[in-house]
Amino acid sequence: MRRLFLSLMTLVLCLGASAQETPDTLSAARVSSVRGSVVAPQVITSKELRSVSALPEAVRRFAGVQLRDYGGVGGLRTVNVRSLGSEHTGVFVDGIQVDNAQNMQVDLGRFGLEGLGAVSLFSGQKSSPLQSAKEYSSASSLYLESSEPVFRPGKRDNWIIGSSVGSFGTFSPRAVWEHAFKGGTSLRLTGEGVSSTGRYRFHVKDYRQYPDGSIAGYDTTMTRQNCDLAGVRAEARLSSPRSSGSFWNIHAYFYGSGRGLPGPVYKKAGEYPLSLDRQTDRDAFIQGRYVREICKGWSMALRTKLSFSHLEYTDFPELAPEDSPARYNYRNHSAYLSAAASRTAGKFRLNVAQDLQYDYLDADLRGFVFPGRLSSWSCVSAAFLTGPLDVSANLLYLIERDSFLSGDDRSSSSRDALMPSLVFSWKPSGRLSVNGFAKRSFRMPTFNDLYYTTVGSKTLDPEDAFQLDLGAEWRAVESISHHLALKVDVYRNLLRNKIIAVPTSNQFRWSMYNLGKVSVLGGDLTADYSFRFDDGEAGLVARYTLQRSRDRSDPEALTWNGQIPYIPLHSGSVNLFGSFSGWRADMTFFATGERFTTSANLPAYRLAPWTTLDAALSKDISLKTGSLSLKLRLNNLLNEQYAIVDNYPMPGFNFLFGITFAF
Amino acid sequence: MNKFALLVFSMAALVVTAGCSKEETTSRDADLAGVNVAVGEKKSPFSKLFVLNEGGFQKNNSTLDFFRFSDGNYVSDAFGSMNPAVVQGLGDTGNDIAIHDGKIWLVMNGSGFVHALDASDETIIVSIPVPDPRYIAFDDSHAYVSSYAGAIYGGDAKKGKVYRISLSNYRIDGEVEVGCQPEGIAVVGNEIFVANSGGYNWVHENTVSVIDRATLKVTSSVEVASNLHFLAADSNGTVWVSSYGESAWTQDDDGNWIQNMSEPMGLFSFSNKNGYGVTPVNNVHVSCMTICDDGYLYAIGNAAEMTGGYDNTLYKVPVAGGAGAVTAVSLPGTDASRVGNPYGICVNPRNGDIYIADADYTAPGKVWCFTKDLKLKWSAVAGIIPAHMALY
Repeated sequence: MRRLFLSLMTLVLCLGASAQETPDTLSAARVSSVRGSVVAPQVITSKELRSVSALPEAVRRFAGVQLRDYGGVGGLRTVNVRSLGSEHTGVFVDGIQVDNAQNMQVDLGRFGLEGLGAVSLFSGQKSSPLQSAKEYSSASSLYLESSEPVFRPGKRDNWIIGSSVGSFGTFSPRAVWEHAFKGGTSLRLTGEGVSSTGRYRFHVKDYRQYPDGSIAGYDTTMTRQNCDLAGVRAEARLSSPRSSGSFWNIHAYFYGSGRGLPGPVYKKAGEYPLSLDRQTDRDAFIQGRYVREICKGWSMALRTKLSFSHLEYTDFPELAPEDSPARYNYRNHSAYLSAAASRTAGKFRLNVAQDLQYDYLDADLRGFVFPGRLSSWSCVSAAFLTGPLDVSANLLYLIERDSFLSGDDRSSSSRDALMPSLVFSWKPSGRLSVNGFAKRSFRMPTFNDLYYTTVGSKTLDPEDAFQLDLGAEWRAVESISHHLALKVDVYRNLLRNKIIAVPTSNQFRWSMYNLGKVSVLGGDLTADYSFRFDDGEAGLVARYTLQRSRDRSDPEALTWNGQIPYIPLHSGSVNLFGSFSGWRADMTFFATGERFTTSANLPAYRLAPWTTLDAALSKDISLKTGSLSLKLRLNNLLNEQYAIVDNYPMPGFNFLFGITFAF
Repeated sequence: MNKFALLVFSMAALVVTAGCSKEETTSRDADLAGVNVAVGEKKSPFSKLFVLNEGGFQKNNSTLDFFRFSDGNYVSDAFGSMNPAVVQGLGDTGNDIAIHDGKIWLVMNGSGFVHALDASDETIIVSIPVPDPRYIAFDDSHAYVSSYAGAIYGGDAKKGKVYRISLSNYRIDGEVEVGCQPEGIAVVGNEIFVANSGGYNWVHENTVSVIDRATLKVTSSVEVASNLHFLAADSNGTVWVSSYGESAWTQDDDGNWIQNMSEPMGLFSFSNKNGYGVTPVNNVHVSCMTICDDGYLYAIGNAAEMTGGYDNTLYKVPVAGGAGAVTAVSLPGTDASRVGNPYGICVNPRNGDIYIADADYTAPGKVWCFTKDLKLKWSAVAGIIPAHMALY
């Protein structure tokens, strides 16, 4: 099968080469996630990306989003959109999904900012022409769009070298080489390394108030240990010249790292470390996309991807680390192929897509069943685009066939799902647009849910997410110097068959069941104001999210109707920025209300609200030989001691200074 | 997940219900109001029922609650309220509670501490570092703590230990290697008995190690059954030990893992008076157990475990002084049918009241009090995974 995909890949390349037309590097329309979509996503532009030092810092700014962050340089960071759980958010790199069949957690910390053009979040359904079928499958989708290299007239090579140093003993050098071939094909090679001790001090504190009004407690400082990180990321991206008829690109990615897993903070007798566990990762993929017009009105897109990831987890005996540790290896293999065709005829647009993917997981656990999964997504999407009113109706059918070792033979199981969605956008005036969607999507059980030895349950159904959304965007002020836009979204989500672990009839054995049910009523509000002056720009973006996410699993339980774990009722952020003659300054304020670690919302399980203030300052200096860019990022200026995940303290004040030279 | 499984396997206490009566003095914890859950029992010989909540694995949220007999109030997190300045509170995964000589002894498996508190007001006296402690037992001068001693699941097989703690200076003053992953422990005369589980091993252990108290050396080992866990001695010196049984995981036609018990969960007894001859008690499935001063061993287990069903059953087994045959009452059909996951049991020797700790795993658990006829007397919301109880 691998060979088949490789030859298909070659075919794609050949097609791409033959489709080359006159070099026209910049003029062709940029294929971004936004173009042609019925509903506009939330977008963080490349300009705004300059104010952050890592992708998760940008993603957490979106309204309706909760970033799950285990803290520190090596801590896992995943995104949860509208309380549906991170498994329901698809992360796409240039329109191709980043997968992890083992647990569906995509660590946002593994993507760089170099070469990233924009980050956009579609809650509900993106509906653009030539979408792959998988792009219809997630409840929400996060798109990371690469930028295309830009060459100044007469230049064929761009070099960017840079380095960052900062808190936690972090040192991160990077280099980018962009090259324009004759004929207009461009290449970008990116290399980045990071090394960090990851250590930081944090407070452990607990104060309690007594009926007589007195307060007593403790506040002590500790240092996070075993949280070092060393990693490299290397990427190569080859893009065809832009022409009206066709384009292609190929993207190869490698990420390798070794890190300490500091684990949760809990009381431990002094002489023993909390954790000595380590994790080593090797992730690699190569993906390609080829888009062309076939004949008038028809166009097509081919996408393909091969990926491999290897995770090694090492559990060291804490009392005697010299003893042999327990090691576990997980190897994910995946191959993906997609074909999409789109026809536009007047106000009518038809999109059909067919995707196929094969996943296989190899692990050296006792009694492991070596699951494989063949998935097929078939999609038909029809859009009616009148201008004032755009409507898109989409139907996706997913067939999934798993095979796994059962005794000496392989058994199989299958899950199918029909996922309809309807998206509309109505523009009664040039400044006001009303949009909404209804979508039902299913999240397939992960390999861990299904096949984790003696815990996984092979009869699980997929998680069932139903979303209803109504929103409006009003561009209140649109003048040459001032811009004010207000955006509001109200949504109702219902999550059924949520997969949770519970003890079975034999309480020593846990298993996964489709028992959870969550009902979400939410609202997002965004205000975006900016004004331009002679040589600069200033403005603010304020975002507020209200999410009432109730646990509706068991009417008899203490958890009934409680706010689900880790979702705050209120959260929001304010980003203030100003740029002037090469300078750019940003201040970002985040606030998250109280949360609970269980749906039983008792005071003992309450997590305190937190606020952080971050700042960034950058300066671009034009030199004869190139341009120099300096960037200082100050995180958590007020040194707030907080945790996003219980017992995983976040760092207090920290900084990162970066210098980049482009020539 | 493996450590998680360990947590699940770490079960209820060997509750040493010291039958000491408590004079009615006002202790400092009288200010803790708690929640009224029952009518007070003025004539109770006990002042408190302590409940140790294990907390989630590595969540550092183990707590000590108590039910106060005088006013029928249930006080949550009494340790935290009485010792607010103790950094990180009780700690992680409370695995055993015992009352000895006016002190509450708490065995914190995740934190690697054994805490001693004043039983009258829950104020801390000392915290003793002990690696991977599991269960505790006493003689007049020492405490004995079973320990996994640094073994990890998936690592090399590693013997556990019993640590001896001096009650005069609260220091470890001796240790002895026993079998793998030792659990329940009891002192009988000049001998210490500890149940070896071998829970991390591919093939489980099946012995009780016998340690000579004077020399702190293992003198013999008694072959009982596979995967031993709870161990307690009655007043005659007979040792009662439970086994989690032996199961094989196989897959059904749908590929689901099903557990086939090759040996059921069981209860066994032996005594040095008959040369450690092991007697099985037939058809008693033990998920949690306690020996009460009324002459009976009480246990709860799933009677339908062999067929994959769910039938929680309360067993009453006569031990020293108890009379009659083993009785078994199925909890469904009684007030106790509302108990979801019986995780710990304690019995009041005066009136036969049965306390059941009911763990919920994702939410706070409950403590239920039933009369000896399994009529509901009261219930209270406990902490995360209530499991271990003791009367004071």
